[in-house]
Parts: sequence; structure tokens; C-alpha cells
Amino acid sequence: MADISAQAPFRLTLPRLPWYVWAALIWIVLVLVVAVFAPLLTPHPYTAMKLTNRFVPPFDRWTHPLGTDELGRDVLSRLIISVRISLLIAFGATLISAVLGTTLGFLAAHFRGWVEQLVLTLADFQAAMPFLIMALSVLAFFGNSLPLLIGLMGLYGWERYARVARGLAISANTQGYATAVTQLGAAPQRIYLRHILPNIASTLIVSMTLVFPEVILVESGLSFLGLGVQPPMTSLGNMVGYGRDYITRAPWIMLSPAVVIVLTTLAVSMLGDWLRDKLDPTLG
Amino acid sequence: MLRYFAIRLFRALITIAMVVTFAFVVLRMSGDPAILIMGPEVPPEALEAFRKSWGLDQPIWVQYLNYFGAILRGDLGMSMRDNRPALDMVMDRIPATLALTVPALILKLAIGVPAGVWAALHQGTGFDRAVMVMAVAGFAIPSFILALVLVLVFAVTLGWLPSGGQGGVEHMILPVLTMGIGGAAALARFTRSAMLEVLGRPYIRTASAKGLPWASVVRGHALPNAAIPTVTLIGFLVGSLIAGAVVVESVFSWPGVGRMLVVAVGSRDLAVVQVILLLVAATMVTSNLIVDFLYGVLDPRLRQGARAA
Amino acid sequence: MTALLTLDAVARAYVGRQGLFGRVTTVRAVDGVSLTLVRGETLGIVGESGSGKSTLGRMALGLETPDEGGVRAFDAPMPALGTPGWRALRRRMQMVFQDPLGALDRRLPVLDQVAEPLTIHAIGDAKARQDVAMAALQAVGLSSEQALRYPHALSGGQRQRVVIARALITDPDLLVCDEPVSALDVSIQAQVVNLLIDMQAARGLAMLFISHDLRVVRQIASRVAVMYLGRIIETGAAADVLRAPRHPYTRALVSAAPAPGRDRADRVILTGEPPNPAARPTGCAFHPRCPLVTDRCRTEAPVLSAIAPAHSAACHLLSTQTPPAAKAA
Repeated sequence: MADISAQAPFRLTLPRLPWYVWAALIWIVLVLVVAVFAPLLTPHPYTAMKLTNRFVPPFDRWTHPLGTDELGRDVLSRLIISVRISLLIAFGATLISAVLGTTLGFLAAHFRGWVEQLVLTLADFQAAMPFLIMALSVLAFFGNSLPLLIGLMGLYGWERYARVARGLAISANTQGYATAVTQLGAAPQRIYLRHILPNIASTLIVSMTLVFPEVILVESGLSFLGLGVQPPMTSLGNMVGYGRDYITRAPWIMLSPAVVIVLTTLAVSMLGDWLRDKLDPTLG
Repeated sequence: MLRYFAIRLFRALITIAMVVTFAFVVLRMSGDPAILIMGPEVPPEALEAFRKSWGLDQPIWVQYLNYFGAILRGDLGMSMRDNRPALDMVMDRIPATLALTVPALILKLAIGVPAGVWAALHQGTGFDRAVMVMAVAGFAIPSFILALVLVLVFAVTLGWLPSGGQGGVEHMILPVLTMGIGGAAALARFTRSAMLEVLGRPYIRTASAKGLPWASVVRGHALPNAAIPTVTLIGFLVGSLIAGAVVVESVFSWPGVGRMLVVAVGSRDLAVVQVILLLVAATMVTSNLIVDFLYGVLDPRLRQGARAA
Repeated sequence: MTALLTLDAVARAYVGRQGLFGRVTTVRAVDGVSLTLVRGETLGIVGESGSGKSTLGRMALGLETPDEGGVRAFDAPMPALGTPGWRALRRRMQMVFQDPLGALDRRLPVLDQVAEPLTIHAIGDAKARQDVAMAALQAVGLSSEQALRYPHALSGGQRQRVVIARALITDPDLLVCDEPVSALDVSIQAQVVNLLIDMQAARGLAMLFISHDLRVVRQIASRVAVMYLGRIIETGAAADVLRAPRHPYTRALVSAAPAPGRDRADRVILTGEPPNPAARPTGCAFHPRCPLVTDRCRTEAPVLSAIAPAHSAACHLLSTQTPPAAKAA
């Protein structure tokens, strides 16, 4: 047999992905870079006001490529900081929700009985109640702060991870490697963290990419209503919310964050759909 | 069958009880109700008297039971801002909310279900792809952005329709469109996948292999089976008639329950928030019960008593 | 000799419900089984599916708790499942599963999995564990290159060798094998059985070998217990039970399995329904299928009693004593 590797010319091959997945990936990387390096990228401080420079339209002056708002603040700088805050909330919330849900799912699978019933009832409750209403109630009672907002958003979607983790852990426990490892004398935390978790990680990651865009949408909705991120801090939904007052005179104030919200949710959900089809078609 | 409904009803009551508990816990955790209501500068004797008269000096579980009892009697507290029973205030706003959400629901069903079925039956065609693109876009464009874009186009630029407020039918067009378009996209996508899943099942292939005309295979076998999951989503849409109005009512300054909630949250009018929370939970639970009942009718397996997970 | 493992009249019942309104039925999977196992011996448990032999194996390991009776291992009562005492005991009693692919974690190289019991029981340091695991894999016939592979990159027989290596790495005294070769290709079965025989001989293991396959049991077992619907109906030295079966059920089983040097003419063919644990017949559970059934068999359950030295059976036709059931009445 001929040596195949010797014949193959050396070149960098890109994985074969559909064009829309590439587009989604490029956008996500761009947004991530902006979020991480935000303070270095802003041309102006995002809170710097200059009342002589109000309502500058986009592409009008080089110093303000996306224009300025009603207080003369640079829209591009605010947009960059908003991306950072919105992604911080979305990442924080998605992580909290994944950890919380997976833990509760594992507890349900491990203890069964009333613990399981409690987790399932809570999950049903969470799934049945519109999240926005619950979030609004909590904000009404507690007021608002960034950690509270992240924690609150961290309750979004936990029931999906809990159901997935519970189902997969139960099937692993009743048959297969988990039983075998139990029989080796392993403690439960070893079985769940070292064996079951790596085995269901791909499913959980797919769930995360499906929940993540929804978190962005809910957070931007709350901030839009003026009940999420509070000024002087800014987020994408917050920018749209305040920009709405100037929709007639300066629509660009709300349009640029609106475009970023739509493109980001679109990109992450397309990536999530594609990953789900590739890795785990059973997820709903 | 009876047992199935008994279990469902029990779960529904549990859900309501959990919402009440949730409201109680959050209310108590958010601070001393006496200070919250009377204000911080009230003398301590007055606070003490207030606590006594409202039973706040009793153990927490007695307070909890009292709270539960009050809610069962329909006593949901007074609005702190308007000093009217919160329940009455919310009830006054319900017709306005339904005036938007019911037409929007009809719009969602009228567009979403046929589009989904048609797309599934013509999988891979241009129409199917258009439906899918619309569905993905409908998910990614949140209602507040869609609403503002509609305002920008039809109110600001073209000047055809008012940008908000309550008045004639022309005031309702943009809000109803906003809610209808987004929901229709989700419904179309869901109906399509439910339909595709059913069309891939062996009994459909058997039915068409038997020589049944395709139209009657679809009508007799595919549609009833695809209806089962779709009914769940429709139930969810009915249940969120009030919840779904929050954002849209706020954008269009429509005096419904949703906008009331946002205002109440902003001013921390807790009684009003609590009434709306319970109202939303009650509609959600009721529509879930109806869905469960329809399930029982649609799915013969349940009639025979298999336990649904 | 002292017994490593003693099962004393253990019983295990499962409660099931037929349909939503169906009545609650109790299925007695294992119904009053006693047995002992001493160092260095292999006890073969034979029976059809539904005979309760796997449940028995799980009770022997403490993976299930008997409803009645007791299990003693190493002269102490079996600790409850999942307790630290139970976990520590795993070092001394191990299991080989029917499906090796299912028993291995798809996400770890097999070397790590073989080393895992050493980590769990805190034996040696990380380096020593790897070396011991590598040696164990080589002892069951895997190369050092194969040791670094993932389970799906090995053949079925190699996977079962990995499972055996993992089970033996803590140097246990007792090994329970539940149908260890029935998922394997026939050509591989003999190799794995021979491996088990070698390992047992080298280490003086006690083995509980559960199988429906008489050919395999004949190869490996020194003693045999035949189970039917949750009870032992015949037990004795493997040579006696499998060469000269006495109970009509065992005779049917033995005659159905081809063996060298035996006449095929005297085959007993089993008729009737296969046993259903949910609908246990009255009297002797085997009577609906028994070619020698009498009226007594339909009403009265026979007890296991000695029919020869170290050979017992539960059959009215073999017992010479007065029926104990009459005494109890």
C-alpha cells in the first residue's frame, strides 16, 4: 500500500462548515473580542457628554462614526461598552443556570424519591411561568443591581439543564458505566463529576448555546423597559430603551444596538441549531 | 383517565400555591413591610402598632397562613399608589390587554399553523426556506425592536399610523402586528417540525403505500397527530396572553395590564405586582389544564391510561 | 473452610402495577435462596431469563438489599448500599458485567479506567497506579498500545478483558460474573472463559459465575446451582449435577445443551409456557412443564433436600422424606 500521508500536500484545511455557520462564528468572535477589549477600543469615554455635539448623525464626522446621542455622547463607544455589559450578564447568567440546573438534575437522579419530585415540580413551575413576569416581580421587590440582575437571569432556563441532566444521569445509573463505577466503590461525587458530567457535556453545551441567545433577549427586554441595567451603566437593551425617545429625531441611537442584538442572537442560535443537529438531534 | 386529570388538577393547584409562596417569600425577604409601607421616618410606636394590627408580630408561619387565607378570600391588598384594591385596578385594565392580545393570537394561528403545515408538506421548496428564514428571524428579533422598527416605518416615516396611545382601530394595528408576527414565526417553525416528524413515521408511509390519496393521508393521519404537540404550544400562547403584552404595551403606551406591571415595578407598588403575578399564573395554569384535557381527547394512548411524564 | 460469602434464605420481591388501574402485583424474583461460597471455588448459577439469577448476583454484592434473609461477606453482615463501609468492601468483591462496552466509560482511555479502582481506594501514588494498571492489562493480553485506546477502539473480547483487568486490580477475594461471555462472539467466549479460569487459579479467587449457558458453566464451575423462578431446584458438584442431573428441569436443560460423549436419543424436550415470575404456578413452580407431573406437584411445593452426598434437589419424586410442608401445617 502506498503511503497516503506522503502524497497529501501540506496545507491548512478549514473544516467544512456551511457558510452561515462561518458567518455566525465570525460575528461571535468579533463580538467577543469587542467585549473583552472594550475599554481599549472605545474612541471616547462612554459617559463623556458634550452638549454642543448632540444628535450628530452617523458617518458625518470621523470622530463619531456612529453619531452621538441626546447628550452628545459617542454612540460607538457606548455600543462597545454595552456589548461588554450585555455579554457579561449573558455569560454569567448562562453559567449560573447551567451549574444550578445540572446540579439539581444530578441531585434528582441520585436521590430519586421526594427530592426528584421537588426538582421536577420546581422545573414544571419554572417552565410554566413566563420568566419576564417573574423577573419583573423580583425586581419590583428587591430593586436592582448588576449582581442581582446576573443572579436573576441565572434562573433563566435552569429547568432545561435539570431535565437533561436528570434524564441522562438516570439512564447512566440504571445501566452502564455509572453502575460499573459504583460497583468499583466510587463515591457519588466521583461518579457524577468525573464520569457522568464528561459524558453529557456535549448535550449540556448544546443546551447552553440554545439558552444563551434567549438570555440576551430577556436581559435586553428588561433593560429596554428601564428595569434591567441602570444608568450610568449601559447595555444594548438599555441603549434601545433610551434611544426610543428620540426615534423621530435620531433613530440611529436605537438602531445600532438593535442591530447588534439581532445579529448576536441570530448568530448564537444558528450555531446552536447547527451544533444540535450535529451532536444531539434528540434535544428539543 | 380520571386519575390522569386528578393528577393534573393537583399539580395545577400546587403551581398556584407555589406562586403564592413565591410572592410571600419575596415580599418578606425584600424588607420590613411596616417600614416599607409606613415609611422610614415613622415613630417606632406607630410601626409597632402597625405590625400588631396587620399580624406582623406573629411567627412567620402564622403570617404565611394568614397571607394564604387572605388570598383565598380574594383579599389581595391595596395599591400603595392609588389606595384602591389592587385587584379592581388590574381587572379594569384586562379588557384593554385582551383587545390587543386576542386579535394577535388569531393572527398568529391564522398565519403560523397553515404556513408550518404547508412548509412541511413542501419541504425544501422556496416557500419552506422562506418560512424557516422568517422563523429564525422572528426568534432573533425581540418584540421591542420589531415594534420600534414598525413605528419607525409606518408612523415616523410614512405617517400612516399613530405611534402609540389608545383610540380607534388604527391604534391597534401596529401592536397587534408586532405580537402577531413574532408569534406566527415561532408557531410556523414548531408546526413545521411537528408535521415533518409525523410525516416521517412508518404509519404515514404505510397509509400512502396502501394507495390512499395523499390529501386524505395528510388530513386523516398526519394532521391529527401533528396537532398534539402543536396544541401544547398554542396552550402556552393562550396562557401568555397577558405576559406577552408587557413589552408591546409599554412601547405603544397602551393602557393594559402589561404596562401597568412595568409602572408598578418601577414604583414598587407591590400589591399590584402581586395581583398580576397571580393572574398570569392562573391563566397559565388554566390553559395548561385545558391543553391536558385536549391531549386526553387527541391522544388515545392517554385515554387508556398510560402515564404522561 | 470458612465461607467468604453466605446468603441465608434471601428473598427479593419487586412491586409492579399492570396498567393504571391494574392491581398491584408482587413479583418474587428471588424466593428464599441460601448458598455459601468458599475461597478458591467457582459456583455456577444456571437458569433461564426470569429465574432470578442476576438478582441473586446483585444481592451477593450488596447492590440490592434482600427483603428477607441476610447476606454475610467476610464474616460480617453486608453494609448498606452506598455507605462508606460498602464502598470500602468493593476492594474485596468485584463484578464482571455482561456488556463490556456499557460497563466502560466511552470518554476515558482504558488504562485510566483500569487504574481507577486504585485511585478510588487510595492505593499507591499516581505513577504506581499507571504502572500497575498497565501490568494488569498486559496480564489479560492487551498491548501497551491498546491500553491507551478508548473502549470503542477495541474489540468486544478486548473490552471484556479490560473489564476483568479492572475488576481484579485491587486483588479482590470474590468475583461475581453476570453472563460475562454471552454478549461475545462464540469464537471469543472460550478465550475469555479460559482467562477467568487462569486468573482464578493464580489468585485463589472465589467466583460466582452466573450464566444461562451450560457449556460455559461446565467449563468453569466446580459447583452448580440451578435456579427456576427464584428458587434453587438442584445443587451439587458440577460433575454430579451436569453429568447426572436428577431434577426433571435440570435434565431438560442438560439434554438441550450438546455435550461430548452423550447420547442424543434421551433428549427431554421442555413444553409449555416459559416461566413468568409474575404468575408463579401453585405447588412446584415447574409442574406445568414437567413431563413427570403428579397431583402432589400441583398443590405442594417441594423443598430442597439431600438426594446424595453434597447433592440436593427440590422434587417430590426424588425426596424420600415426609413432606416438610405437611409438618408445618
